[in-house]
Amino acid sequence: MNTTTARRHAARWVAAIVAAALLFGAAQAQEPIPTIEILTTTEAYDPIRYESAFIIAEAWRQLGFDVIVRPQEFSTLLQRFYDEQNFDVTILGWSGRVDRLDPQHFLSTLDSRQTSLGSNNPGGYDNPAYDALFDAQSREFDANARRALVHEMQEIAAPDAPLVILYHRDEVIAYNATRWTDMVTMAGEGLYNEWTPLRATPLTDDRVLTIGSPQEPDNVNPLASTSVWGWKWMRMYYDKLVRLSPEIEPLPWAAETITAVDDVTIDVTLRAGMTFHDGMPVTAEDVKFTFDYYIEQDFGYFRAFVSRIASVEVTGPLGVRFNLSQPFAPFITVTLSQIPILPAHIWSGIDNPGDLNPDEIPTIGSGPFRFDRYDRGEYKRLTVYPEHFAAGDIQIEAMEMIVFADSEGVFTGMQTGQLDMTAWRMEPGQIPLAEANADLVVVGVPDFGYFHMTWNLRRAPFDDVAVRRALTMATDRQRMVDVLLDGRGEIGSSVVAPVNAFWHNPFIERFDYDLEAARAELEAAGYTWNAAGRIVAP
Amino acid sequence: MSRTYVLRRGLQAVGTLLVIVTALFFLFRLGLPDPTVALVTDGLSPEDRAAVRERFGLDRPLVEQYVIYLGNIVRGEFGTSFHYKAPVAGVVWEKFANTMVLMLVAIVFAYLLGIPLGAYLAWRRGTRTDTLGIVLGLTFRSAPMFWTGMLAVLLFGVALGWLPTSGMRTLPYEAANFFDKVFTLDFLRHLVMPATIIALFYLGSPLLIMRNTMLEVYGEDFIEMARAKGLPERDVLYRHAARNALLPVITQLAVTIGLAAGGQVVVEVVFSWPGLGREILQAVRTSDFPLAQATFMLMAVLVIAMNFLADLLYGALDPRVKLR
Repeated sequence: MNTTTARRHAARWVAAIVAAALLFGAAQAQEPIPTIEILTTTEAYDPIRYESAFIIAEAWRQLGFDVIVRPQEFSTLLQRFYDEQNFDVTILGWSGRVDRLDPQHFLSTLDSRQTSLGSNNPGGYDNPAYDALFDAQSREFDANARRALVHEMQEIAAPDAPLVILYHRDEVIAYNATRWTDMVTMAGEGLYNEWTPLRATPLTDDRVLTIGSPQEPDNVNPLASTSVWGWKWMRMYYDKLVRLSPEIEPLPWAAETITAVDDVTIDVTLRAGMTFHDGMPVTAEDVKFTFDYYIEQDFGYFRAFVSRIASVEVTGPLGVRFNLSQPFAPFITVTLSQIPILPAHIWSGIDNPGDLNPDEIPTIGSGPFRFDRYDRGEYKRLTVYPEHFAAGDIQIEAMEMIVFADSEGVFTGMQTGQLDMTAWRMEPGQIPLAEANADLVVVGVPDFGYFHMTWNLRRAPFDDVAVRRALTMATDRQRMVDVLLDGRGEIGSSVVAPVNAFWHNPFIERFDYDLEAARAELEAAGYTWNAAGRIVAP
Repeated sequence: MSRTYVLRRGLQAVGTLLVIVTALFFLFRLGLPDPTVALVTDGLSPEDRAAVRERFGLDRPLVEQYVIYLGNIVRGEFGTSFHYKAPVAGVVWEKFANTMVLMLVAIVFAYLLGIPLGAYLAWRRGTRTDTLGIVLGLTFRSAPMFWTGMLAVLLFGVALGWLPTSGMRTLPYEAANFFDKVFTLDFLRHLVMPATIIALFYLGSPLLIMRNTMLEVYGEDFIEMARAKGLPERDVLYRHAARNALLPVITQLAVTIGLAAGGQVVVEVVFSWPGLGREILQAVRTSDFPLAQATFMLMAVLVIAMNFLADLLYGALDPRVKLR
């Protein structure tokens, strides 16, 4: 230790002792609220969440709070938030996976039975009325009746300000319009959805759709992949009983018909004539095997989807009956649209599918595309399966994906014409460049995932609803959308995004940015300010 | 050089490695977040994650994990990557080869060019050529490679369209093995830009070290002697002076090659080169312990081996150095 730091240390001790003495002398009530720590991502990981934290801190300081922003490495941030619940305020997000269009998952993030360490409600919001409605909506099979319950949940949670939904960031992607038309966009998915490869029409002789992405699957094992990038690829060569349409309606796909006999019995009839890529027919036995296999293997990624299935019965060569242990509203929209149909003749001989080496993983599905190759870190490719019932409408002969190290590499590939489309959102700085490029068309779609700021309701002052309400009013979400997202996004109000129009409740308390109203809310709750302008609890 | 010297140094190297292997194990496990924490955002419950931890063997006591880990290393096994769910050795060897082919080409070029150039600058000391050489060498050494790399991509890739901007080969390609992959014209076209960027960066070291040691050697009596014998200046420069000035450059070369396994992450990112550097970064970020341990161990082995080799080379290059 050199002399300057030694002196600084000594000075710090003296200051601490003096401060302690002053505190003892002062009236206890004059003790200001301790410093609030906001955890956020590093600037390199996500500049937008990083800057948002500083916008928030600046406004809260004007209310007399002492605020410090602490950027964290992403997995450290996740650990402190979920596993340790060691935070005052954390800025994080939920991605908008298609299966989350059903409100079940997002609504569960405010369920008080999800407040244990590692669960989905680290803030600790606890409202018995909310929990009861959550259970009721999950059992309600009638869509309109369920919708009323979902709306009510959003309405009763909003005034409690259990967290702040900051913004929904638009997915902004681009494609080469000199080479392609009929591209399909989907909320939350952008262009890289299940439908673009089925509908895209080439304008040149090149009938291979080339996609660039900085993201890569962890693996392509349907019993081990836990990344959305693994499933976005696998869903093209595995079929599902249901596919969600571009307008996000459930369409019977490998299923010819789906009939709810009652709210715990669902009958499915398969399409006739389907085959796996090795030529074997797709039968009811394969479907039963698949669901039994996922339940037996206890695969975490799908456990929530299959946990209400009591049994699966084969009722005929193409007939399957699902018996549920209790009504489960998202069964058709989520469970049937996410679980891939596996060929029983291949997988039934594999006892520990999670431990397969990459070169042993079966890639035989019954989807509209067939697995061709996967060179990790570089390339993957699917070709059309001509025997598929949808193959007649497909205009391309293959889809390929080139893996890049970052979005800058992808963008260069778009500029040089190497790529036809991006799989992942562009950075704000690339968007104007893409718009200026005559060959490219830029598409923005709203996201139903969200970025949120969650406070720890177990800690003062966030245990006081007045503070939460005031601090929400002091969070300038409009500025985040206008400045940080350059207008490409929407301010948040509920865990169910506005784009998810059927489930979103637009008539809930919104807390517009208003520092005066925030101050009034605090005053009404008995908060005062000391001589230094710091806020003091009642 | 005696046999006991080699044996002693060999044992020292093994001891060093054991310390490093132990440090890596505890450093990652105590310093990095839980490897399953990112699964929360995929919707996995605490019970699901506990099952994953059990499969990874992370539920066992740390000491037990350490013993298993040491046993595996002795058997040449590095476990299964948490992220890829694939054997670590397969992931590492492929990426290691990709990185080394890029780095070695760049380093060899830098030293083949830098050593004679440094000698030449020493010979022309004080002239404009000397100044220009030093300035250029320092400029490339100080310019960040992500920047020079991006400029090269913009110029030769986007504007002129001469060279590919990403990857090692035009995709898709068929290659039976690694050599099949690299002994092609297509690979060379992909190699030119990243290798040049790295070579220019490395050029400064041999250039300046060589120049400085040459200047010292130039003052020695035996140079006077060589000149007095009437040898041509070129022979004096390259045969007598340069050979004696090589030792520090060799040390530097050994260290550079030793550190090459880590790659130049920024260059791998700018050119989307599927190398080990990017893999290491990702392994640490995702707390992929087996992968991180194996890659860092590989780097350590290489550094230790190259230092050992440099010591042996000293004896061969300079008879005055006695290794006992």
